Amino acid sequence: MKSFQYLAPIPPFEYVAPRTLPDLFETLSGHGKELQVIAGGTDLMIALKERAAVPKIVVDLRCLRKELGGVSVEDGVLRIGALATFSQIESSPFIARYANALRQAAANVGTLQIRSIATLGGNLATASPAADSAPPLIALGATVTLLSKSGQRSLPVQSLFVGPKRNGLGAGEIVSSVEIQADADVRSAWTRSAVRNENVLSTVSVAVASTIRDGRFGPSRVALGAVAPTPILAEKASGAMTGGEATPHEAERVAALAAEDARPISDIRASASYRKRLVLVLTKRLILQIISESLTP
Amino acid sequence: MKVKVRFRLNGASRTDEVEPNQTLCDYLHDAAGTTSVKKGCDTGECGACTVLLDDMPVTSCLVLAPQVDGGEVVTTEGLGTRSAPHPVQREFVEKDAVQCGYCIPGMIVTLSWIFEHAPSASDVEIKRLMSGNLCRCTGYLQQIEALKSARKRR
Repeated sequence: MKSFQYLAPIPPFEYVAPRTLPDLFETLSGHGKELQVIAGGTDLMIALKERAAVPKIVVDLRCLRKELGGVSVEDGVLRIGALATFSQIESSPFIARYANALRQAAANVGTLQIRSIATLGGNLATASPAADSAPPLIALGATVTLLSKSGQRSLPVQSLFVGPKRNGLGAGEIVSSVEIQADADVRSAWTRSAVRNENVLSTVSVAVASTIRDGRFGPSRVALGAVAPTPILAEKASGAMTGGEATPHEAERVAALAAEDARPISDIRASASYRKRLVLVLTKRLILQIISESLTP
Repeated sequence: MKVKVRFRLNGASRTDEVEPNQTLCDYLHDAAGTTSVKKGCDTGECGACTVLLDDMPVTSCLVLAPQVDGGEVVTTEGLGTRSAPHPVQREFVEKDAVQCGYCIPGMIVTLSWIFEHAPSASDVEIKRLMSGNLCRCTGYLQQIEALKSARKRR
């Protein structure tokens, strides 16, 4: 029995699954734009079916899970491999301890079936302005490590995003891991607004990370998703929060600045002015939550 | 060029040649004989094609057939038989949790995973975990009842 084709069949391509990193970089260096890397595939498969991507060769990273996967803490650094799935992130005790905002975002990506296979590296490389993993990582000051034949380089997560669905990866370069300072004093939280609770793109997402000591905020970051061509660090809000008093009044002030930092557009999900309002409400809610958590022993 | 794959399907070792641009959903339904795997939306939203891949539920329409090489796939055929059904399959019958049936194989795969891996999930948590399986006939209450009844009788 032959399945009915809802979408036209995916055009043919060559498939390779390199077994070692040197083999991978050899394959990547031999091809240009006609090559597409696949990790979890939850974005790429849609792009293939919709002809948004028409590669001649698809390079699968799945044999490199050892090299490019896993979640670990070493020398005070939390390292998340690019091939870590959202389910693995959601259930990792290291991430619960050091990156709560990322755990919250991971638990809300897509559905169980998507989280089971979609990867952190894929989410970043797809470079959607609404990528749910990005605001937590930016708020936590994470860096992303990129690997290529000629070596590795690290950059702040927000710098990997250059435009809607455009990443800053060079030719022959892949996302290999994400690094976060493992500091259990840092409190972080994430939330979003969307048209329904599950299996949906965020209309606006916000993450906040801070430490609170003696009633004041230490180094703090507010990051926003789906309100600019890329996920962004809310610079005015982050600057104002750092060193500020940990009070509801201050939360209100920082949230208003975050709304100023947002540069949203109007689209099918929401108008620009509604998105700005959401940034204010969600940011304030997260800061209040962090303050109240710091008061409970 | 076809790709050679060797993997386990419902407990049996299987070697085959697949087209790179074939989805795992089409391969399982059309070539491997596991016709419980249904293609609903073909975009990873409806969950009718859900199978376990390396013991995690995935929408097989978002997996390329060659990606199963070295892996383990379980469909609802592999969870139980007519004479020895999986507890979740048995309770689907008991609780009349079926109307047209199209979503049911994928729904059973997801709920069997919840049964094994989240045995104390609350109603809210069950709903969150099964949000990737859409039913357009009856709703979801009988299915949740079936899972809870299976848990009680384990």
